[in-house]
Amino acid sequence: MKKASASFFVLLLFLPFAVEAANIPAPRGYVNDYGNMISSSTEADLATKLKTFEETDSTQLVVLTVPSLEGEPLEDYSIKVAEAWKIGQKGKDNGILFLVSREDRKMRIEVGRGLEGKLTDLTAGRIIDLVVKPRFKAEDYDGGFIAGVSALIDATRGEFTADRRTPSGGQGPYVPFAGEMPSWFAFLMLMGFFAFFAAVARSRARHNRLSRRGLRRSGRGYPPYPGGYYGEGWSTREEKDSDVDSGGGFSGGGGSFGGGGASGSW
Amino acid sequence: MKKLLRYVASGMILFMLSGCGYNVMQQNEEAVKAAWGDVEATYQRRSDLIPNLVETVKAYAKFEKDTLTQVTEARAKVGTVQMSKDVLDDPKKFEEFQAAQNSMSSALSRLLVVVEKYPDLKANQNFMDLQHQLEGTENRINVARTRYNKTVETFNASIRTFPNNLTNKFLLHLKPKEPFKAAPGAEKAPQVTF
Repeated sequence: MKKASASFFVLLLFLPFAVEAANIPAPRGYVNDYGNMISSSTEADLATKLKTFEETDSTQLVVLTVPSLEGEPLEDYSIKVAEAWKIGQKGKDNGILFLVSREDRKMRIEVGRGLEGKLTDLTAGRIIDLVVKPRFKAEDYDGGFIAGVSALIDATRGEFTADRRTPSGGQGPYVPFAGEMPSWFAFLMLMGFFAFFAAVARSRARHNRLSRRGLRRSGRGYPPYPGGYYGEGWSTREEKDSDVDSGGGFSGGGGSFGGGGASGSW
Repeated sequence: MKKLLRYVASGMILFMLSGCGYNVMQQNEEAVKAAWGDVEATYQRRSDLIPNLVETVKAYAKFEKDTLTQVTEARAKVGTVQMSKDVLDDPKKFEEFQAAQNSMSSALSRLLVVVEKYPDLKANQNFMDLQHQLEGTENRINVARTRYNKTVETFNASIRTFPNNLTNKFLLHLKPKEPFKAAPGAEKAPQVTF
């Protein structure tokens, strides 16, 4: 008896983790068809479309279908997923989650704070009512997703543009060895640069011709390396690495959500 | 020499202050205030939507004067609850604010139930748009309240745990903040009567 209750308590300890894991699925890519509603060719098309959209506009639009909400309110679930996946770029807050639950016949468009001006609750509601719902009602799910995603892209295009450093191409040409270098090493290297240039400048002041040759010779081994850029390139590269493991090319940028968007059923 | 001693002493005090949660408590209080700002903004957004909603419903549902009056009155009452800065520190004022907003919520949900009787109104594009806006706003209120409660939880915990509680007692004198509680009767859905 004692043993049984003890093991029960141990089980209780693990319960929160188990529940959390069951509730929020891991992001697989731009299109996460856990509810098996989208045909594979459409899924691939949508994924390419959404990837290009992020490359040009930096806005992250992610589609998620689930078989059922298991009794959880739609709005609670969708904001939990949006926050867990960190959809949208940090600071821009330009993420959109298009969530569909198959058995509940419910859907929601969750809009990040940065897009609330362009994609208002009203616009999101109209996209659900006028674009997606009629197609879902006719059981044309592929058509509904394609039309819905296009409408969302049209509504938000131009609100943001991608930075010079595109989110999906984190490994810029200016960041050699970024994947392998620990940050203290980078710091040491920077210090080395400073010391090197300082030394060169000093010796140049003394005997001009000789030192210039010296600079050319020893400078050859070093990559071109603007210092201010380094920190950013490093962190995105790291993020990219981890998201490649999860597969699919999408990785959340840290956008925040305030509960904007619209829900509907069909 | 005396000067040096004074520097050392002030340095020590700074160090001790950061070690006893002085800064943490201030930061947590600011977080609560910021979250409260969001709560207020979302409630304001709801109040702004109501005149439009009332006008639209009025055109279709002429016989629902009572319900409409209740909504308008609730909105007026929300407007009269004075929003001052100390509403966060004063449980009584906070209660007042919450009560006013709750009566607004229940008046609104009654209105939306009544609307079910008017298919013409429900099919009206203007009304459908308003309904989306209202739903969106209610959802934002929900999110803002949950986040506010989370920051309050952090703040209240930070002023009660050792050694922060000593710092607070002797230096800061911060009061615990009030979280939102579920409205009484909120677990029951409004009844439809024909």
